[in-house]
Amino acid sequence: MIINKRYDILLLFINRYYNFLDKLSAACIIYHKYCTKCHIKCHTKDYFYLVTENVRLRLQLRIHFIYQSRRIILKGKKLLSAILVSALSVGILAGCAAPAAPAAPAAGGEGQTEAAAAPADEQVKIRVALWDYSNTEYYKTMFDAFSAKYPNIEYEVVEFPADEYPTTIKTQLAGNQDFDVVFLKDLPTMSALIAGGHLMQLDDLMANDSEFDKSHYSGLIEQLGVDGKSYGVPFRKDNNMIFYNKDLFDAAGVAYPEDGMSMQDYYDLAEKMTSGSGNDKVFGAHMHTWASNASMYARRTEEFNQLDTSTYESLIPYYKTLLAMQEAGYIQDYGALKSGNIHYSGVMYNQQAAMLQMGTWFINMLVENADFHWGVCSLPSETGLGNEKAVGGITPVTIGAYSKHPEAAWTFIKYVCGEEGAKVLASTGILPGYGSDAINEIFDAIPQNNEFAPEGLSKYINIDTYVVEFPMSEKAGDIDTIIGEEHSAIMTMTETPEEGVKNMIDRVNALQ
Amino acid sequence: MADLNKSDAAKKRGAMKRKKTLVAWSFILPNLIGFFVFTFVPIVFSLFLSLCEWSAGNQGVKFVGFENFRYMFAQDRSFRIALKNTLYYTVVTVPLTLFIALGLAMLMNKPLKGKTFFRSVLFFPYVASLVAVAVVWMALFNPERGPINGLLMSLGVQNPPRWAASQVWAMPTIIGLTIWKGMGYYMVVYLAGLQGVPSELYEAAEIDGANNWEKFLNVTWPCITPTTFFVLMMLVVATFKSYDIMYITTQGGPGEATKVLAYHIFNSAFVSMKFGYASAVAMVLFVIIIALTIFQFKMEKRFTNY
Repeated sequence: MIINKRYDILLLFINRYYNFLDKLSAACIIYHKYCTKCHIKCHTKDYFYLVTENVRLRLQLRIHFIYQSRRIILKGKKLLSAILVSALSVGILAGCAAPAAPAAPAAGGEGQTEAAAAPADEQVKIRVALWDYSNTEYYKTMFDAFSAKYPNIEYEVVEFPADEYPTTIKTQLAGNQDFDVVFLKDLPTMSALIAGGHLMQLDDLMANDSEFDKSHYSGLIEQLGVDGKSYGVPFRKDNNMIFYNKDLFDAAGVAYPEDGMSMQDYYDLAEKMTSGSGNDKVFGAHMHTWASNASMYARRTEEFNQLDTSTYESLIPYYKTLLAMQEAGYIQDYGALKSGNIHYSGVMYNQQAAMLQMGTWFINMLVENADFHWGVCSLPSETGLGNEKAVGGITPVTIGAYSKHPEAAWTFIKYVCGEEGAKVLASTGILPGYGSDAINEIFDAIPQNNEFAPEGLSKYINIDTYVVEFPMSEKAGDIDTIIGEEHSAIMTMTETPEEGVKNMIDRVNALQ
Repeated sequence: MADLNKSDAAKKRGAMKRKKTLVAWSFILPNLIGFFVFTFVPIVFSLFLSLCEWSAGNQGVKFVGFENFRYMFAQDRSFRIALKNTLYYTVVTVPLTLFIALGLAMLMNKPLKGKTFFRSVLFFPYVASLVAVAVVWMALFNPERGPINGLLMSLGVQNPPRWAASQVWAMPTIIGLTIWKGMGYYMVVYLAGLQGVPSELYEAAEIDGANNWEKFLNVTWPCITPTTFFVLMMLVVATFKSYDIMYITTQGGPGEATKVLAYHIFNSAFVSMKFGYASAVAMVLFVIIIALTIFQFKMEKRFTNY
């Protein structure tokens, strides 16, 4: 503003001076004319000289003023930039000061590792990365209870969209984001993150913590490890089962499905339960579109292992049964489900299918939505395996490699994956990674509040041998993609099961 | 004195020139900085990455020379399929969109009742959200319950195509969606081109006794070649780099029937975390697009009439 004013005054001054010069030259010219008219030539030259000199002067002056004004403008610019720079540097200093402040407690935090005591003094803030936080009630319940117990640990939730979570979290950690607690959706993502060195090893933290007991996690901590090192604690685990609609079975007068069915039994049951046509058709079973909806059967019996291509052929008989069911119209067509983006839950809620293979999270969904009696049994298999083994995915919680407060993060993980967190999860019908008698009781108590739920659910959540849906491997992401693609080719009947499985084998073997 | 004046003037000119240059720079600089930071540097970096192995991990970048390219051409079956699919998609989509857009533009250029209405209707798919359009499209083409197959069956077609649920028909289904979505935009481009054709030429052709087809062939088509080249270039680049449609509708399936190069790049980078390899595939795509664009520019010089 000041600069502008000074500049204006200058311009005014220049203008006035020019006016004066103009008047002067005009006067000269008039005088000259007058002289010529009078034929007096004596002084004319002088007046001419005066005029030309005037012009020269004006030019010089103009140049002078331009330079002068530019210098002033430049000076003003320098001043302005100086102000800006100083303002910026103050800002940067302030910005530096802000992260510098928590850095000090971080150092203190490491001091604590040695002292292993008195965490109550330090106030730390941990960053927790997860999905679906804002629309999932139990996270808030659990985290609030954690805050009440550990008032010195604040938490900041960083939420990402659920569908893109695996991709987003990989990209975020590749950018060295300092998340302390990282929830993961699946094991292929975890494998990729371990391979990238983005997750912290938890062995020391586990070993130094006398309160932590691995035996509550049915051997899953070991299964989540790579090369004998642990990286995560299971927050949730899932067992895949057959959910069935008891009302439909009763109406048809067919006996309920039982543990240890063969695939043929499953096929026969689906055939018996299929009825009606058009919009009123009730399908004997429902098969969702994920590749795991086919591979889970063979994975449970451990006939199939994604990391060993010589086991892939064990999928063929399962695919044959499922395709036969699809062809006979006992299950809905894969292509129709895929094009229609049809969610399995609606099919079950509307009683359009009698059986569904799904994970234990469906217990929670049925408790909240079902208005029919339902039951569960273990998956059918080619080997007739009963309820001795469980198969499913795991939701691990890990510590990011760039965490500033690993100690506090561990306290957090131990809480949400421990008895207290597990109780909150179990009370909503979600199967926690942590297992204990108290958790079993919660599941067995579900029918007390919900007339449709079956008795004795603990039988299916408390199983000694737990097979992870997808073993840990650096290549897990690639293998998962390949199996998914070939699954869609087989289920749309564009490849026979034999061709599809052969493609799987060739493609997985060709992986770099 | 004169010398002094001259040097002053020169100085002044120099200063003016500098000032003008500075002003010019200050105008393009914001955009240039953005381009440099967000486009140029990443392109150069990805050129470098294509010769490396990098999983975005802590192990850093490992230089592997042409290994990525060797693997791509010698071993990676998905790359070959993706390349084939991309070519199929482009070769079918581009001419069809071009001719349909031109046809519609010529129709819309005629005095027609409710022209504005039809023009809006045809332009609507272009402005509609791709996700919404794709979901509706997939519902229409549902192999079991879709209205399209319902219609076909009531017309007596015994085994109607299974559209997105079949390896043979998945790509045509997506091509149909792409054309329907994009034709409105290119129709508007063509309309602008058609309105630029001088009416004297038509009058002259009429006096010479040319019929409609001859008028189109000898007046309209030559006059709109610059528009055609513009549309062609935009379409080729757009189809080569498109992946969003496949991502929303079929996720590259069934099998790998609709997996295109851009989708393969996305998968390699963000699912498999092989950024080096993904960059190598991206480089191949880049070279293909650049080569095609240069070729088209050359052709434009040769065939454009004005």
